[in-house]
Amino acid sequence: MTALSLFLILLLLLNLADANFFEASQAFLKSAFGGRKYAYLYVTISRCALITGMAIAALIAFRAGLINIGGEGQLVIGGFIAAFISIYSGVTGVAGITLAILSAMIGGGLWAVLAGLMKLKLGVPILVGTLLLNYPARYITSYFVSHPLRDVSSGMPQTHLLDKSLWLPFVEGTRLDIGFMFILIVYAFVLVYSYRTVPGYHAKMTGLSIEFAATSGINIFNTTLKTLAFSGAIAGLVGAIAVLGIHHRFTDGMLVQPLYAWTGIVAALLINLVPWAILPAGFFFASLTSGASGMERTADVPKEIAIIIQGIIILFVAARATSIASGSKKKEEGS
Amino acid sequence: MLAKLHDISVNFGEVRALDNVSLDISPNQIHAIVGENGAGKSTLMSVLFGLNVNYSGQIFIDEINKNWSTPSDAIKAGIGMVHQHFMLIESMTVLENIILGSEPNKYLGFLDFQFAKKKLYDLLRTYNFSINLNQTVGELSVGQRQMVEILKTLYRSAALIILDEPTAVLTPAERADLFNSLQDFKNAGKSIILITHKIDEVMANADHVSVMRSGQLISSLPINSTSRGQISDEIVGASKTKSISRKKIKPGPVKLHLSDLDVLGMPQIGNAFNLEVKANEIVGIAGVAGNGQAELVEAIIGLRSSKSGLIEICGTNVTEVDISTRRDAGLCYIPEDRQKRGLALDAQLSENASISLLASKAFAKGPFLRKTKIKNFTEDLIKKFDVKASSSSALANSLSGGNKQKLIIARELSLESDVIIAENPTWGVDLGAINQIHYELLSMRENGHAILLVSSDLDEILTLSDRVLVMFESELSHSFRTEKVTREELGELMLMKASEKKKRKRQISHEAI
Repeated sequence: MTALSLFLILLLLLNLADANFFEASQAFLKSAFGGRKYAYLYVTISRCALITGMAIAALIAFRAGLINIGGEGQLVIGGFIAAFISIYSGVTGVAGITLAILSAMIGGGLWAVLAGLMKLKLGVPILVGTLLLNYPARYITSYFVSHPLRDVSSGMPQTHLLDKSLWLPFVEGTRLDIGFMFILIVYAFVLVYSYRTVPGYHAKMTGLSIEFAATSGINIFNTTLKTLAFSGAIAGLVGAIAVLGIHHRFTDGMLVQPLYAWTGIVAALLINLVPWAILPAGFFFASLTSGASGMERTADVPKEIAIIIQGIIILFVAARATSIASGSKKKEEGS
Repeated sequence: MLAKLHDISVNFGEVRALDNVSLDISPNQIHAIVGENGAGKSTLMSVLFGLNVNYSGQIFIDEINKNWSTPSDAIKAGIGMVHQHFMLIESMTVLENIILGSEPNKYLGFLDFQFAKKKLYDLLRTYNFSINLNQTVGELSVGQRQMVEILKTLYRSAALIILDEPTAVLTPAERADLFNSLQDFKNAGKSIILITHKIDEVMANADHVSVMRSGQLISSLPINSTSRGQISDEIVGASKTKSISRKKIKPGPVKLHLSDLDVLGMPQIGNAFNLEVKANEIVGIAGVAGNGQAELVEAIIGLRSSKSGLIEICGTNVTEVDISTRRDAGLCYIPEDRQKRGLALDAQLSENASISLLASKAFAKGPFLRKTKIKNFTEDLIKKFDVKASSSSALANSLSGGNKQKLIIARELSLESDVIIAENPTWGVDLGAINQIHYELLSMRENGHAILLVSSDLDEILTLSDRVLVMFESELSHSFRTEKVTREELGELMLMKASEKKKRKRQISHEAI
């Protein structure tokens, strides 16, 4: 039913945009999953890695009841630190990559912990703290790449290119860097963490009922900070992957404009914070973005159509989730 | 008003919540409907009040077949309902709350407050209510809020008033006031439906009593052709009660010791607390809710800090340490608020059951959970305490109130802690479960545990406790041996405040008029 109505809406939209359905869908599929030597598919996978990473960062915090919407700030800090360390530490090769990634993760983690401390010590809600910390992250890094660390010759607010030995290598025979493998590892790690470990269990209980968790002896202070550090570190890692694997430098706004962090949050909410579903959700949003730009290129369908579809899908899912929730509520009242 | 429910059935999925229930509600009567949680009382009322429209069967009001599509149809037909959880807006005044949804209009859509006031003053006079219409609801006591809810139904000219567990939140004095008013309504020709757990109230006030069990109407009889025993047998069904008796045991060493404990944020200024609970002993703290019991319990558990004084559990000073350290020292806690503090409702039973024991590393291997062990443990608890649940992976929310409480008690008692803090352990729980919970607490006592029972139910305190103290305005009375004190003496200590409050309330309402 849902699928059918979605399809009808899609047809209607394409009709309005004066496009042929088959042509448009062909263009969509090709640019999401095809291309010469699967070039487009690789772009989708690499975008999927970034979105999934940010979705995981959001999911971990949300499950613990910490509404960390500051993924963007943590991502930017991570990416900037990765670039900064890579360029100025002088360490090259695998050691340099490791150093850059670890520092990015520590940076992102600390940025999130800052919001946690603001909550625990000053009572600033996590939602507000994390959101507001996005701005200093963005503008501090913007200042650095516009002035002291700028690659003046490039004419853009960006750092110098990293040393080639620090670029993440391609998977053999493809044009796909190994960044997505890090995200796969994180994905596996998070599945184990959420379903099978004591800290994951503590975080879940804290998220479901903080009073219950506290009464039962869970240390809320530690759980909050640890979870935020974990969430921020993953966002930092995503920043490092984008710098080391895709852009090979830090350009002002390059992690903000594609809305990785916000798409990640939407993806995490869309699947109702169920950990295993985060990878398919990330892939879905990545394909949608890739496919839409292809549709615009070849079938002359505005990419906004895809954004509208994305919005409608979210509405459908949200409506269904609410109706399920209210259905079970009715049952309770019967007791 | 004569209301007739004919062959009402309701299904929730595969569960038959109401099974062909037929019931007549006559005017000039207080009609009590009793039954355990989940017996179908609330479902039946939600059908009568138009909240639930997915039923089969018919509703007749004064011999006319009615089909509600929303509660407002039922309200128009003269049915009013006072829900267990009040539906009032705290920041608005009594008057605004009452007229909300049926505002009297003047020309151009202006509100006619004068008209509403006049109507309400008439009602206040007729039924001897004392309440200030201009006070904001947030400033009112629970009893007064309930009065506002009742006024709301009267203002809408209800001829049939449904009260869902109205006395659960009231002090004894407020309870007496409520029943006086109900008698007045009855004499004025209204029908009253009283949904309750408490047989005492039914025997003392109702004219007619209907018993429900598992979605069926078991009996519906005038009060003088039934008896207490018969009603409670019908409620519980096949006899499944364990006998409750407190064996004589000599108490052992002191397990919980409070000395000069000055708790932060008590509701009134009182003295510091001194208290001892020994092994093999249940010490009861009686009192009307809101006199500082909750704060004292929080201080002992570690949810609230203390200004000065000492808390010792099994000889260890725990005044400064966090909750999990206190639990390790030998403390467990059965909280009053089972929905928030006792359980995570959206988590599985196994997750709820294992939480307190995780600290002891019994269920963990390094950072990993031992899932099979947790599952087996939960299934054991469910079996041992007869918790009605589909499986250990069901959500806590799927349990009925009594079963939720059984799960919490099963979990906390399985810790075998030396000191057990039980806070209103049977509040809102049905008879069968109350019996079982009392039985379990008494067997913990026999096994050498020290139990502090905080309860606003005097019967419970007197049944279980070896010694009783009364909490009044944040002060503990000295302790009485249960054999050497009467209900009346304790009641007087508890109610001092309620009667004083009433005096004050009267003064306020005089000033208002």
